[in-house]
Amino acid sequence: MIKSIIFWLLAILLAPFFSAIILKIKAFFGGKKGPPLLINYYTLIKLFKKGSVYSTSTTPMFKLGPLVSLCSAITVLMFLPIGGCQPIFSFSGDVLFVLYIMGLGRFFTIAAAMDTASPFEGMGAAREAYFPIICEAATFMILIFFYRLTGELQLSAYFTGSQTLGLWQSAGAPLVFIVFAFFIILLTENSRVPVDDPATHLELTMIHEVMVLDHSGPDLGLIELGSFCKLFFYSTIVSRLILPFGAEITGLSFGLYILGLVIVYMAIGVTESVMARYRMDKVPQFVLTSFALAFFATIITMEFIR
Amino acid sequence: MSQFFISILIILSGGFLSILLARHLKSAKFITVFLVCTGCVWGLTDAVTKLFQSGTYVASYRYLNVFSLDFQIDGISAFFLLVIFAISLVASFYSFHYMGHEKNAIKTGINYFFFSILISAMALVVTASNIITFMLSWEIMSLSSFFLVIYNHHSPENRQAGYLYFIFSHVGAMFIFAAFGMMYSYTGNFGFGPMDAIPDTAKILIFIFSFIGFGSKAGVFPFHVWLPHAHPAAPSHISAVMSGVMIKTGIYGIVRMYMLLDFHTPIFGTILIVAGAVSGILGVVYALGQKDLKRLLAYSSVENIGIILIGLGVGMIGVSSKNMPMAVLGFTGGFLHIFNHSIFKSLLFMGAGMVLHRTGTCSIDSLGGLLKKMKITGTAVIIGSLAISGLPLFNGFVGEFLIYMGGFKGIALGNSTFIMGIIAIISLAVIGGLALACFTKVIGVVFQGEPRTKAADDAYETGGTMLVSMSVLAGACMLIGIFPQLIIQLPIKATLALGLRFDPILFEPILQITENISFAAIIFAALFLLVTGIRFFLYKGKTITSSGTWGCGFTQPTVKMQYTGSSYASFILDFFNPVAPLEEEHANITDRFPAKTYYRSQVNDIAGLYMDRVIVNPVLFFFDKLRWIQHGDIHLYIGYILLAIILLLFFI
Repeated sequence: MIKSIIFWLLAILLAPFFSAIILKIKAFFGGKKGPPLLINYYTLIKLFKKGSVYSTSTTPMFKLGPLVSLCSAITVLMFLPIGGCQPIFSFSGDVLFVLYIMGLGRFFTIAAAMDTASPFEGMGAAREAYFPIICEAATFMILIFFYRLTGELQLSAYFTGSQTLGLWQSAGAPLVFIVFAFFIILLTENSRVPVDDPATHLELTMIHEVMVLDHSGPDLGLIELGSFCKLFFYSTIVSRLILPFGAEITGLSFGLYILGLVIVYMAIGVTESVMARYRMDKVPQFVLTSFALAFFATIITMEFIR
Repeated sequence: MSQFFISILIILSGGFLSILLARHLKSAKFITVFLVCTGCVWGLTDAVTKLFQSGTYVASYRYLNVFSLDFQIDGISAFFLLVIFAISLVASFYSFHYMGHEKNAIKTGINYFFFSILISAMALVVTASNIITFMLSWEIMSLSSFFLVIYNHHSPENRQAGYLYFIFSHVGAMFIFAAFGMMYSYTGNFGFGPMDAIPDTAKILIFIFSFIGFGSKAGVFPFHVWLPHAHPAAPSHISAVMSGVMIKTGIYGIVRMYMLLDFHTPIFGTILIVAGAVSGILGVVYALGQKDLKRLLAYSSVENIGIILIGLGVGMIGVSSKNMPMAVLGFTGGFLHIFNHSIFKSLLFMGAGMVLHRTGTCSIDSLGGLLKKMKITGTAVIIGSLAISGLPLFNGFVGEFLIYMGGFKGIALGNSTFIMGIIAIISLAVIGGLALACFTKVIGVVFQGEPRTKAADDAYETGGTMLVSMSVLAGACMLIGIFPQLIIQLPIKATLALGLRFDPILFEPILQITENISFAAIIFAALFLLVTGIRFFLYKGKTITSSGTWGCGFTQPTVKMQYTGSSYASFILDFFNPVAPLEEEHANITDRFPAKTYYRSQVNDIAGLYMDRVIVNPVLFFFDKLRWIQHGDIHLYIGYILLAIILLLFFI
């Protein structure tokens, strides 16, 4: 339990560090030196030191947005087996709770964006409301797949100890599909290229970044921290899936887990460097690919497991 | 039973007094609301005790010495009675400040008269225990709500809505008659007795007929066409009762038929899940496309009926495949969602009523910024929206959670159940996402941002009973969301009353689930307080300034530039274009210089679109050919009657 809590705190503290890996990789592809690996901490500290400017159009909902989105991200981490270790809390059906608590975060982020009366933020909010619908269908398809294999509905049943290895042994081939499907969901849910470009200069083409245009100071810092944590959540799952070894020596399995995380973040960086953002009307097709992959994987399990 | 009938009598007496005293509006309103509320409280306590005593109570009266009127309250009836009385209580309390201008005193009186009849008729529908009693109450319910729908009969739109509702409720009743007629032809009596005499194929046919009949009342796609027209036309507290409770009598009918037929085939569950998935997804897609707040809410009822049907369908599939944990989860989830939906949907309709009252419009794109002017209404509607989107900490989540768990239990089984499980789960997931989009649109466009018209700018909130009613319902949404164990016994008792001999041990996981949900919600709340504390600390001693919204460099923003509800929804509606075709109308560019122009768009409902082509036009064509029969000569008409009687004699 104490170990889990330490891991949870570490996850929140280290999440900004891992996100900087993406920046480094992108800088490498661009032939630049790139910002230091601690850049995100500098940004957060800078933001936390500042005051805020609030739009006259806003209501208290605007201030609730950053709070709830950060809260949902760190609550979700409490249910996540970090590095194959038991999560702090776990119960049958916690996956559903986790997915819906992220929905709660999204609701408040959208509400905060609509609060500003800005057309740009409205546009971002409309997209933020749209793409996760398809994502959610794909995520639930993946859940059905996992349920088919394990008969359980909790994250700890999929990602602790040697459980993940067991998944590979019982249905390795379809699990490859799942890894790709989940990576697509990761890119979409965290507003990465090719769904959204966090680094673009034009507000019209953004999704997530445009929704937080009017937030400033500590509020913006909370949002940033929340999105680092969210990315960390998804990356941990992919990391466990690609390096499922729950070695007996805690140090080794933990090292493998960190390695997996670095690989995932590097993969995100490489994707961002070699791809351009899709046109907005192509994005749903891209996201639907993940649903199709998960669906096929589940159909295949019908033969595997009787 | 006497307590039940007394409460009905109190409610009805309130209705009659409102007409008698209509000239003294204030006192009439006070007496009526007081009596209706008293009756509802009295009936409510009766329903709760009967639900927990889990016995069956019967009463029988002779009517005209020919028919007997039989009533019976078992667990299922008690559960529905509870919902009916609870919501009617809040709605009638709300109506005290909502209804009534002095010049329309008579109209208000008549409205209360039919309102009290509607409440009584709904209560009688769920307690009726033979065919005659049931149909009698059913017709009274349909007719009284018809008169409530045409309350504003001066507007041709409302009259048309009323007409549509009238036709639909009678075509629906015809299907119910057909189902009951088949039942009667096999059993030979009017009672809801044992149905062993009916062969299995006939049972399936009876179920399908009654599903169509009851489904048209419940608003199941594609029989929902009347619903988005009729519900918004009525005054808001009536809409709250119709959407929150009356459509549930359709669900009651389906459940009752399922109990009566006592035939466990996967076909029933499959029908319910598929119909539920289609109504759920399309209902919320159409809701998203609406421009009128009350119509949006009406379509969202179609969606929630879909969720309820999915829950009950999962339960039926569980029973037919002998997977009792799945059955229990599905049924309990479905019943719980019936209860929850009645709370948040009436809350949202009451909020819409306040908006309509104080701004004079329900058009989403001409409102905005209401949260600043209507703090209580705005907060209540936000809570209702969170609940209806099925998000944790609010009550909508709990029912959906149970249904999900039931669906997952089906995944572990053989192929046909597996497919039904997938349909249930994926459609619930999609419905959840779409509902979130739909209600962030309501919040974002109606209550947030800047007011788009002067009416929205001048809005304010008054009306004590309206505010109290909304606060109570919003409080209930949060309380049930965080502590679902408080009310989980209600749907569990209803599930036990289905007469499927569920082992009480099967309900242990459900109690465990509610405790887990409550636990997780408390963790979230604790973290929320923690982060709020950190935020407070971070802002200590900081300078906080306010200025206009950042317009990305544009310095002259106007309120017209805000994102409208239609544009907010357009991304998603594009995706669903095949089932929700967009109809646009605008002037062409004719001149070099911009001239005055217009643009109108509307998302069409394919059920409404095809109903005209596939049903209405052929029927009109056919009967047009028979027009020669009607010639106006009374002698021949009498001849027709004689002929018909002679022909019928051959069949007896």
